[in-house]
Amino acid sequence: MKKTPYEDYLRSTHRLGRAVSILTLVMLVGAPFVIGGWLGAMPDLAAALRGFVSVGLVWTVSSVVEFLVYTPMLGAGGSYLAFITGNLINMKIPCAMNARDMVDAKTGTAENEIISTLSIATSSLVTILVLAVGVALLTPLRPLLQSPALQPAFDCVVPALFGAMAYKYFRKDVRLALIPLAVMTLLFTLVPSLTSSTSFMIIPSGAIAIGLAWLKFRRGQKEG
Amino acid sequence: MTVLERLSSGTMYAICGVIVAFVALVSLLFMARAWRAGKAIGMDPAKMRRAVTASATFTLLPSVGILLGVIALSGSLGIPWPWLRLSVIGALHYETQVASAAAEQLGLELSGSAMTAQGFSTIALLMSVCIMWGMIFMTIFGRRYLARLSRGGERKADSAGKPGFGDLAMTAMFIGMVSAYIGSYLGAFISGEGLLTFRGSWTPLLVAAVSALAMAGFTALSERRGLKWLDSFAIAGSMLLGMIAAVLAGQ
Repeated sequence: MKKTPYEDYLRSTHRLGRAVSILTLVMLVGAPFVIGGWLGAMPDLAAALRGFVSVGLVWTVSSVVEFLVYTPMLGAGGSYLAFITGNLINMKIPCAMNARDMVDAKTGTAENEIISTLSIATSSLVTILVLAVGVALLTPLRPLLQSPALQPAFDCVVPALFGAMAYKYFRKDVRLALIPLAVMTLLFTLVPSLTSSTSFMIIPSGAIAIGLAWLKFRRGQKEG
Repeated sequence: MTVLERLSSGTMYAICGVIVAFVALVSLLFMARAWRAGKAIGMDPAKMRRAVTASATFTLLPSVGILLGVIALSGSLGIPWPWLRLSVIGALHYETQVASAAAEQLGLELSGSAMTAQGFSTIALLMSVCIMWGMIFMTIFGRRYLARLSRGGERKADSAGKPGFGDLAMTAMFIGMVSAYIGSYLGAFISGEGLLTFRGSWTPLLVAAVSALAMAGFTALSERRGLKWLDSFAIAGSMLLGMIAAVLAGQ
């Protein structure tokens, strides 16, 4: 049976999407080795593996959820492009939803497929352009950014991030946050040497939070 | 030349620039194909133009917010690598957290003064590996998943319209992650210089508190004053305010 032009488009989009995703993956994973070769120090694979076990698993689960939830919203072209270009939750998804609402496209339709792809491609190009211009302007400021006076600021990037994230996530469910925060504070207080393994402590802390969330969910179901 | 200086050298710009240029080309290619397909199925070009214009204007402000993220990471990883990560695949909260975890495994801190060549290449590898799964799932399962959905009709989040456990589990997972870090700052302050002496470093706590307060301010302005555009700057802006507090505290 002869395929419609739209079916042909979808089939070739999957082919192209898979090819460029694999190429992007090779470049992104290869870059640290190329840079390592140039710097004369290849990545420490054992340390990277330990790091992956401590934080990577969280992001892997998050990626599964993102794949299952966002792919139907974005369609084929939009999804390949969104996963390649990143910044999904903070930019690509709301951007595509905004464009879709503007033209009143419905999930699963050809119109939605086209609009999502156009929206995400545009969004990626604008981000790339803004960042390229911004970085070009930043380069002359490099000596200032690397000055000793500013080093305390850059040494505190991680606490700055987690302060902002603490407000963002704790307010979603303060009661759920209390127990893991109290347990972690107690552990780090009684065993201060654990500070050098904070990322590993995400595992028990996350397990406590998810366990409590499950209890809350079950209770809600029984009541509801 | 220090490691940090090498990380902002022309070679680094060339390596990262090639990947950014490749992704820009891919975006252009997908855009051109979607435009042609839209015309072929009879979509109104004015509608497609409106989607492109709306997406471009929608993205401008968040992109400036992402640029602030490049500034935040540039002090420890140089400019080109954060530029690549935040242009192509990453997100600010992800990049900082994974970079910090990798540094920790190497016994380093995520700072420019402590950065070593191997430290950087390991951090860069972990940053790449941890966030590639969406791309991998899409490559392996995307076609079948979308085909199944189109056969079964539109996917519903939940038949009763209630959020499932997935949403709550995601929130809980992030609460657990944040609790571990905030707990470590509290523990380091309370017992960092001897058990229960309260003489440990308070700078991370101060920075986290300022950053959280700033986030509260951004959120209040967004939710109560309707300044939704501020959402795009909330995390990066809060981080920068927290980092400024670290500089002032160090004076």
